[in-house]
Amino acid sequence: MDAIEKELDRLTSQANLSKSIKDIDRCLQMLMAARSTIEKDPSATTRELQTLEPKLKAGFQDANDSLKGLHGGIAKYTKALDKKFKHATNENGFDALANNQPLINRAIMMHLLREGKFEVADTFSKEAGLVDTVPPILEREFRELYSIQESLRQRQLGPAIEWAAKRRDVLEAKASNLEFELHRLQYLVFLCSGGVNDPKKALEYSRSWFLPFQHKYLSGLYSLCLCFGWTMPLTEHIIEISQLAGCLLWRGKMANSPYAAMVQDDSSWQSIIDSFTKEFCGLLRLSAESPLYVATTAGAIALPTFNKMATIMKAKKTEWTSQNELPVEVPLPDKFKYHSIFVCPVSKEQTTDLNPPMMIPCGHVLAKDTVNKLARGTGSRYKCPYCPADSLPKDAQEIFL
Amino acid sequence: MTTTKSAATLNADNNLLLEGPLLRLPLEVLRKIFKSSQRYIENDGKKLCELARDAAAKAPQVSPETSLESLNAMITRMQTLKRKMETLHGEEKAIHKQSRKRVSHLNDLHSLTSLLEDGYESWSKIRLDRFMVDYMLRNGYSDSARQLAHEQNIDDLVDVDVFVQCWNIEESLRNKKTTECLAWCAEHKTALKKIKSTLEFELRLQVYIELVRERKLKEAASYTRKHLSGSFDTHTTEFLRASCMLAFPPERPGPYRALYAESRWDHLVKTFVSTHHNLYNLPQEPLLHVALAAGLSSLKTPSCHSTLSTRHNTACSVTSLCPICSTELNELAKPVPYGHHTTSWVDHDLVLLPNGRVYGTKRLSDLAGKLGLDSGKIRDPISGEEYDYTEVRKVFIS
Repeated sequence: MDAIEKELDRLTSQANLSKSIKDIDRCLQMLMAARSTIEKDPSATTRELQTLEPKLKAGFQDANDSLKGLHGGIAKYTKALDKKFKHATNENGFDALANNQPLINRAIMMHLLREGKFEVADTFSKEAGLVDTVPPILEREFRELYSIQESLRQRQLGPAIEWAAKRRDVLEAKASNLEFELHRLQYLVFLCSGGVNDPKKALEYSRSWFLPFQHKYLSGLYSLCLCFGWTMPLTEHIIEISQLAGCLLWRGKMANSPYAAMVQDDSSWQSIIDSFTKEFCGLLRLSAESPLYVATTAGAIALPTFNKMATIMKAKKTEWTSQNELPVEVPLPDKFKYHSIFVCPVSKEQTTDLNPPMMIPCGHVLAKDTVNKLARGTGSRYKCPYCPADSLPKDAQEIFL
Repeated sequence: MTTTKSAATLNADNNLLLEGPLLRLPLEVLRKIFKSSQRYIENDGKKLCELARDAAAKAPQVSPETSLESLNAMITRMQTLKRKMETLHGEEKAIHKQSRKRVSHLNDLHSLTSLLEDGYESWSKIRLDRFMVDYMLRNGYSDSARQLAHEQNIDDLVDVDVFVQCWNIEESLRNKKTTECLAWCAEHKTALKKIKSTLEFELRLQVYIELVRERKLKEAASYTRKHLSGSFDTHTTEFLRASCMLAFPPERPGPYRALYAESRWDHLVKTFVSTHHNLYNLPQEPLLHVALAAGLSSLKTPSCHSTLSTRHNTACSVTSLCPICSTELNELAKPVPYGHHTTSWVDHDLVLLPNGRVYGTKRLSDLAGKLGLDSGKIRDPISGEEYDYTEVRKVFIS
């Protein structure tokens, strides 16, 4: 990039039109000077005019020469770019997604809604004629998602708590911690805000909201109450006794406690926003991060591999898009893996609907095709490739990973 | 020397494959500015020298006032030239400024080392915004593109004007008008010649075909003489075919159906767009397509379009829904191949529940703890069935 910047510097500082403009200006000044001479002394007209052509010629020659500098500058800049951007964007020259405009439009539309870009989404939907591509109910959901996210960004927990409370049953069935986490944060916010009445508020809050959770989160609650210096947090009268003592204990120290850090820390707010988004989208049967974002990012990371692949495939006169499975593994960071993947240790094939993973009696897992092959397609007894046990193909059990 | 590089290492240069147009397009604009200024200086220089010569020659015969007048005419011309050059210089400066912003955007990428850094995420978000704008512009959704670019504050990173101009010419061709496109050809004459483009010939041929279609045969003939005969050597066959089609009216096209075909206009649109993108060093397909196609395939697994998909994905602790399984991309990903994997990707210590599902032990015990189940009990996180821990079997994945 440095070379590119250097050449760009040259373009802005020297290799531009300013010199030619100066040359042209000089010609202009020269013509004006001639005019004032003639105006003062009309008898000089012919003599003056005769000098103009050679002067103009020289002047334009200068302007042209200055342009050469610009030309050189552009050529050098081009070279610097060529060096950095050696490869074509798409070695394949093949557009796998052509003719999929409606689906791509929908994906973009949903991405815009997800990101809270409602105005752009509106313009886009009109311009691209996307009536009803995204169900209006989904749009409403996204608006709610965005407004709750916004209030969380402003550190207001109310709307999120209300949302979670309404869906307590579904969330609990999913073993989600969301509601509890929201309440915990709210409690800490009260506790750490430093106003005279806030500790009392925190106490009242904990009493009314944590009781429903006491079975599930005993240890979590316990640690929360530690900041009061309590040992038996949920017994009503102890709370009241500790109220006075507790206040005295931590007043003034709260700002330095780890709990205060938790409330002030951006990352704890970001993580509550993330878990909220995940639950919200999960209930809509949508992925938490924008799929369009994840896929383009993964694609950008994978592109060098694809281009290499395309070059090889071109030599073989096939397209990578014409097969069921990519011919090579694309290295992606683990966070881009969303499914459990089982590769049969014998056939080295990924299992599919038609060729599912099977567990054989000894506990080892093989692909169905492999089991059949081992039994020579006759259903006869075979030995496990990984241990001495032998078994019949009919005893293998299909499993779901 | 081969060292195992972690998949999370960020190699900025590899990420640049999609970024060429970011700097190359402004470069082409810069080149165009240079060409225009060269033309101005050449033309006006020639003309002014002529004027000066004339004025000097006539000076002895005419009154000083007349001479002064011609001198004034020269001054006006010179001033106009200066103004035109200054306008170009202004455009040039704007491009420099814009390119600088783009370089600094790319430098932001170079300062990162890992794909897992937050910085990479925010950089990729901007990249996606740029790609969406690029996609919108190429599809003629210019208002959306402008609005998105403006809201995301990436006006300097996208090329609205170039694409809007391109789209307008496309539209005029779709409306069967060749004027705009011919003007564009004239503007880029030398560049088109260099890449041996047939665009202008095709356009002229279309004008001719339309004249023949309307049976304006005389005009067609004179149009041929004026605009097409120059290309006789390079396009002999087309030229001869075009001449013969005069004898066949559109109702009875005979062998000239192809020339009369409406689809020729679509072909012209395609030819224009690909020529245009070639000239500006732009990839033919939207950048979003390139990135997305690669992304869909590398993320896709056999489970994503499985009829059993709801029963899958138990043995890894990722609980967030896969982007390919999500509504947005599911259908789009149907035709693309799935990613190749050489090793299994599952949790540690897998166990099989009586219902046939496999889970990691930790996931089951975490859930049991959270739900406050009685000790020795577990619950299937997906189906909700409850089992005794003694009922599970260990699974060995080699």
